[in-house]
Amino acid sequence: MMALERLCIEFLLNFVGREELNIFLRSPQNTAMLVGGLIAISGAVLGSFLLLRGMALTSDAISHTVLLGIVVAFLLMTDVFGVAGDTSSPWLIIGAALAGVATVVLTEALYHSGLVRQDAALGLAFPLLFAIAVILVSRFAEDVHLDEDAVLVGEIGLAWANTHNHCLENCQTVTIDEGHPAAKIGRQCANCRQLGISPRDEAAEFDEICLNCGEYTPAQAWQAGLTDDEPLLVFFPKSITVTAVMSLLVIGFTILFYKELKLTTFDAALAQALGFRPAAMNYALMGLVSLVAVGAFDAVGSILVIAFFIIPPAAAYLLTDRLSLMLVLSPLIGAAGVFFGYDLARGAVFGLFQISDAIKSLNRLLGLELIERWDSSISASMALMMFVLFLLAWALSPKYGLISTLIRRAVQRRRFDNQVVLAHIHNHQFTARHETELRIDTLHVHFHWSPQKMTRVLARLRARGLVAAVNQTVQLTARGDRHVHQFRAAMLSAHNILD
Amino acid sequence: MDSRRVWLTVAVMALLGLMFIPASQLLLGIRYTYTVRVVALGGAVLGMIGAVLGCFAVLRRESLMGDVLSHAALPGVALAFLLAGRELGLLLIGAGLSSWLALRFISSALHTTRIKPDAAMGIALAAWFAAGIALLTYIQAIPEASQAGLDNFIFGQAAAIIESDVILVSAVGLVVLMALLLFWKEFKLVTFDAAFASANGFRVGLINTLLSTLIVTAIVLGLQLAGVILMVGILTAPAVAARQWTHKLDQMIMLAAVFGAFSGGAGAVISALDSDMPTGPMIIVVAFALVMISLAVAPGRGLMWRGWRGRKNRRRFAQQNALPAAAVKKLERKLEDQ
Repeated sequence: MMALERLCIEFLLNFVGREELNIFLRSPQNTAMLVGGLIAISGAVLGSFLLLRGMALTSDAISHTVLLGIVVAFLLMTDVFGVAGDTSSPWLIIGAALAGVATVVLTEALYHSGLVRQDAALGLAFPLLFAIAVILVSRFAEDVHLDEDAVLVGEIGLAWANTHNHCLENCQTVTIDEGHPAAKIGRQCANCRQLGISPRDEAAEFDEICLNCGEYTPAQAWQAGLTDDEPLLVFFPKSITVTAVMSLLVIGFTILFYKELKLTTFDAALAQALGFRPAAMNYALMGLVSLVAVGAFDAVGSILVIAFFIIPPAAAYLLTDRLSLMLVLSPLIGAAGVFFGYDLARGAVFGLFQISDAIKSLNRLLGLELIERWDSSISASMALMMFVLFLLAWALSPKYGLISTLIRRAVQRRRFDNQVVLAHIHNHQFTARHETELRIDTLHVHFHWSPQKMTRVLARLRARGLVAAVNQTVQLTARGDRHVHQFRAAMLSAHNILD
Repeated sequence: MDSRRVWLTVAVMALLGLMFIPASQLLLGIRYTYTVRVVALGGAVLGMIGAVLGCFAVLRRESLMGDVLSHAALPGVALAFLLAGRELGLLLIGAGLSSWLALRFISSALHTTRIKPDAAMGIALAAWFAAGIALLTYIQAIPEASQAGLDNFIFGQAAAIIESDVILVSAVGLVVLMALLLFWKEFKLVTFDAAFASANGFRVGLINTLLSTLIVTAIVLGLQLAGVILMVGILTAPAVAARQWTHKLDQMIMLAAVFGAFSGGAGAVISALDSDMPTGPMIIVVAFALVMISLAVAPGRGLMWRGWRGRKNRRRFAQQNALPAAAVKKLERKLEDQ
């Protein structure tokens, strides 16, 4: 992990100076957006496949169960192996991710037993595992830095503070011994405790001891003024490494197995027949989902990560029919959600208005006394912004959106009205009854329409030069006649095809 | 399965459940003071209501809908608190409205887009829960909000239940159960064969809406006890356990009620011992133990029963195979003699 970070840092240092890099990474906003964006990218790519496979709720299930994996691995590390538990340690991540996959297997076993249906199996197993995890957390909360709040929302706002530091130059550790010029020598009473006397007592004997001897890391030595060479350090947030590795894995997997994933997603039976292994693909996908859920746990907690998996792909699904385009669009939507979500947590909605202004006017209108400063959970706001983007896609999508559907329906209705009226006129215009059937002022009765609607439709047809008024009745113009014949021919040929 | 035997099982289970009180006094050293009595009663009533309506959710294959609706209640609780302060009735109304909105969102997303049900449910769950968390974080900045105990709605805290809460919950629960009795035939029909119900002139949409409303009510009532995240366990676990013992809806519901009351009451009492312990997880663990027992030993369906029947069948099959073989040998000997 450290070596990887080192490589990454050296790569970045080709483009920016060390100072700028440190300043950039130390800003909570930059780090939070970077971490959130990386989670959004890996989540959205995997989520696209989950969505298309109809397994969106599996991500819900997995994200609940990996909590148990994390807690157990954490407790094992601290209590059994005596290593400081660290949620960014690769062993913990892999162990917890395996727990996620194992639970998927277990649930499948539960409903393959035939006693419990699939939805009930999910509804049983995941609350149980989550409940055990919560009990463990609340029991061992003292020695574990996990707490119930972190489980819910994560700590993406603090991602910048949890860093590895990498030393680039002047990295020797400083050892201070008694001969060192910076050593501080002090006196300590050697027999005070033994005799039970105070150091001021005459019988007190003193030893000379070194107060600051010992080994110092370069950073400590520099801070304590023990060395003149400032070590060049880069503070690299651990979450960035974890989420970046995750994203690379996910993207690499998707590119390598794109064909297999596509085939097993859309036609598992065909894939099986062609000798691909849908089951293996499925478990690989579940494994990656677990991995991302674990990796994202620190930043966004174990529940909100569902939003990162499901919402951006659903929005992209409304915008495109192509898998490749969906795989590009959904990470973009996720990243946009992260970007605007950070501002939302600080109270700005798309930079359009401030939530505090809204609260102010709400207070004025309803006579409430709400606090006007809006400072909210970052991860929840990111999820919420993704939902807003989903709603926008739902409303505005050119093909499946609400507005375009409404327009399409209105156009179709209007066309249908036109055809019906033209057909009616065509049927009756040279018959004996055309005087009664086609009188302008009673025409609406034959369609059971309101007179207003009839006038509107006639006005439209007249404007297009399809009908004309002749002695209180309507007649087709030559153009209208052609129109009707074309339409009839089209209808008849469509009819023949159907027959 | 003999129907009378199942009723007997229900009665025995209820008695065994009541035995928890002396058992806990002896083994866990719990004293049934006024507070503990209130908590136990509240837990039992809430567990019962959740279990009864959970039966319908499980039979309609909508267990996960229960999960979504309970998560979706959170922003309603938070908003109601912001606008009206800590008044349990109003908090519950807010929760109900918010879940109901999530329900509307899901059905309109399903009607107007090509998004599949699981994705629509996932979106609603994540978005509503995120809104709830965002509001809760904002509320935490309000000085007097820390005593309001809104956190209890996330993982549940039975110790926070007071007598007036129990009365409120019991009253609403009574109304819900009355509605269930009143529309028993309709609910049963719609649950098992909606197409048949519709063909016979029942208004399936209306009945479905009513049933969903009742389920939402049960969820909202149970929130205090189990919290939004684990509420689904209270709905599903007793129902799944009860399903193993019987094939009849009325028996299943009675048994689920007993199981739900037991896990709600016992879980609440155990967790009330320690203020750090959220109640929801405790109840889920108790309820899941009941599920495991039922899966293992339920007559006719359980795993042990199945294993036993399998062995019996194998033995009978072997005997039936052995018999002709003996007969064939006898016949052969006869032929040789001749």
